[in-house]
Amino acid sequence: MKTIGIIILTALLVASVNAREIKLLNVSYDPTRELYTEYNAAFAKYWKAKTGDDVTISQSHGGSGKQAQSVINGLEADVVTLALAYDIDAIAKQARLLPADWLKRLPNDSTPYTSTIVFLVRKGNPKGIRDWDDIVKKGISVVVPNPKTSGGARWAYLAAYAYALEKNNHDDAAARAFITKLYKNVPVLDSGARGSTVTFAKNGIGDVLLAWENEAHLALKEFGADNFEIVTPSLSILAEPPVAVVSKNAKNHHTTEIANEYLKYLYSDEGQEIAARNFYRPRNEAVAAKYAANFSPVKLVTIDQEFGGWAKAQKTYFADGGVFDQIYQP
Amino acid sequence: MKTTKLKQLVIATVVGAQFTRAALAAEAAATGTNGTAVADIPAFAADAGSAGEAAEIKALQQQVEALVQKVNALEQQHAPTEQTATIQNLDQQVRILQRQREIDQDAAVAKAATAPKVTLGANGFSFSSADTNFVTQIHGVIQLDSRTFFHDNDAKGVDGFLLRRARPILSGTVFHDFDYNFTPDFGGSTVQIPDAYMTYRYAPEFQVQVGKFKSPIGLEHLQSDRDISFNERSLATDLVPNRDLGVLLKGDLAGGAASYAAGVLNGASDYNGTTTNTYSQNDPSFVGRVFFTPWKNSDVNALRGLGFGVGGSYEIDNPNTNSATGLTPGYTTDGQQKFFTYNKGVFANGQHWRVSPQADYYYGPFGLLGEYVLTGQHVSNGNKNTEVNNNAWEISGSWLLTGEDASYGAITPKHNFDPRLGYWGAWQVVARFAELNVDSDVFTSGLANPNANADGAQAWAVGLNWFLNKNIRANLSFSHTVFNGYTGSKPPAGTLVVPAQDENVLFTRVQLAF
Repeated sequence: MKTIGIIILTALLVASVNAREIKLLNVSYDPTRELYTEYNAAFAKYWKAKTGDDVTISQSHGGSGKQAQSVINGLEADVVTLALAYDIDAIAKQARLLPADWLKRLPNDSTPYTSTIVFLVRKGNPKGIRDWDDIVKKGISVVVPNPKTSGGARWAYLAAYAYALEKNNHDDAAARAFITKLYKNVPVLDSGARGSTVTFAKNGIGDVLLAWENEAHLALKEFGADNFEIVTPSLSILAEPPVAVVSKNAKNHHTTEIANEYLKYLYSDEGQEIAARNFYRPRNEAVAAKYAANFSPVKLVTIDQEFGGWAKAQKTYFADGGVFDQIYQP
Repeated sequence: MKTTKLKQLVIATVVGAQFTRAALAAEAAATGTNGTAVADIPAFAADAGSAGEAAEIKALQQQVEALVQKVNALEQQHAPTEQTATIQNLDQQVRILQRQREIDQDAAVAKAATAPKVTLGANGFSFSSADTNFVTQIHGVIQLDSRTFFHDNDAKGVDGFLLRRARPILSGTVFHDFDYNFTPDFGGSTVQIPDAYMTYRYAPEFQVQVGKFKSPIGLEHLQSDRDISFNERSLATDLVPNRDLGVLLKGDLAGGAASYAAGVLNGASDYNGTTTNTYSQNDPSFVGRVFFTPWKNSDVNALRGLGFGVGGSYEIDNPNTNSATGLTPGYTTDGQQKFFTYNKGVFANGQHWRVSPQADYYYGPFGLLGEYVLTGQHVSNGNKNTEVNNNAWEISGSWLLTGEDASYGAITPKHNFDPRLGYWGAWQVVARFAELNVDSDVFTSGLANPNANADGAQAWAVGLNWFLNKNIRANLSFSHTVFNGYTGSKPPAGTLVVPAQDENVLFTRVQLAF
């Protein structure tokens, strides 16, 4: 009887391993839908050619902070491609699903592409919005998502704050007054960047949308270049959306190898081309040069230089009771 | 607003000029001074007598009208701009409110999706996390029975009510793949723990269970206590172990068309183990069972409910305590009276195996369940080691008079009991025959006393079950058992009931199960 039991068990295990399909779940933030739709198809083709295996990659999108919380709560992502390092740090610290040094596991601090924050205004720029000073004027309606839930919104907040600091000789009180005026002009806070794009472009609310650069270009494509135009401010922030393998989940799913390859392929020429085509600034210099026309020159500050890194910025501005909670009154 | 004021200003200026000029003219006429000057100043027609003045007044009137027209034109130019701005502003406000409402609705949906869920219904109480990775369920079974024995020589203490089972069942899931079950029983005379186990579900085909649970051998025994046809299981179940402790590998194959279970357990004597929470011998017991329902997922309705399989166990009995004999505490009748026990000083000593082919069939309101159990156990009285071969079988049938589908599991009435609406729940008639034969060597080898025991019993039973709803059930049944091999004298009244005489017992039960 014991022997029969072992034989049955072995047969079941072998059968289950052979029958397993390769599936990956990429939990990402709001504006990357189009990027990863194109990239997943390219990677599946690459993987099929390399190994002969079929891979199906599912995508999940939402506000970066909300997505991170979902993974912490049990959404079994094999990889996360979120808007900011803090959100992946939260997964590592709270759920211990990946090692604390995840940021150093891939080149460029695990950021295969970058982006920044720009303005999307209505065609003809009827309110004459050229720089950050213009959007804090009385009567200007600004659309931006909630920095409590959206990574893009946090980048936008910090870009505006950095501009105010630069303009006021790093006088924090003046910068705080500036950001307060800005958020007084915000009539509605969406939970994610895509929601804000819909609010501005589809629902016709507001005079200016603070958007990811790629999201602004996407809005032109989707809602019509004859309806909107992009304004690049004099200063913005270097947004670095990182990627990481959720190693515990990948191990449980037996997808560690392919999950790593999936992210590494983002650094390949093809991966970089796809990123650039979707208006993400590629790390690869040759590809960046090729697509230079897509990206307006802008002075970019980094979060490390201006705010001392994500942990400090999060605690100061976006944690419960932080500056944002103090200055924003819905 | 500005244009209105402008219009009023123009009119006031012109009219004021008229009054001023008229006043100056009147003053000049009265004083006789500056006649030329007076003539140059136009005045109201009523005050002026000359045609020139009238013409001038007319010119002024035209001038006023022209100015009014200009003011009106200005008003018309300004009015739409203000209205447009107002409309645009209102439009923005409406859009913002609409969008805010959408965002609030999305947030409410998202919050609901992440909120824990609480459900309460016929299947008990359940509390689960939004992603169902964590679930806690509370179920329960309460069975209040009565037993009334007939022609029992007035034996005392056997008729009456009893709380057969009173089990709160705490079960659930942690981290999606790990199930647990903890079931104490407050029924009977002592508190017991029939079930306390955890199950890891890697896949439906591969699950590992550890703890204390039913030994997977007998078909009737594996049927839930709440779903068995009669108050008590049949004689066939006397030959299989009850609960046992150990590790079990189990699973469903081919979408449930087949199932298997294989485990390493402590080993338990026949229909024993409910009260056991430790081990009593060094050597483990290997148990296994396969069961097939090949047409379960087919379109052949008549065969969908057919299942068959075999269960069995093998162990080396080597009880290592004086109190544990490794033998059954006694084979019992439907009325739970012992009709066979081994002599004192007899103990299990060697191989012990069981084989139980089994089948059931359910089609519409009709149900049939049967099994055969064959066992071999080496038993010693200290002088002689004897292999005792016992066997038992049973077959039971059921018919739901109210047309519901019969099932190995719970019966769900078409209409719950509600006399106000003319609904009476589900009614089921059941019948069963069972037989148990103990190896006659037990008497010839001095392992048991034929003057106090029978080496065989046959029992038939009929009953009527009433399912008021999915949770409430009432049973009424009668069982008659006869015995073989008893050689003792008929005892005096009030001393021994079986096996000196047949057993006739009427059962009732009211059951709450959720």
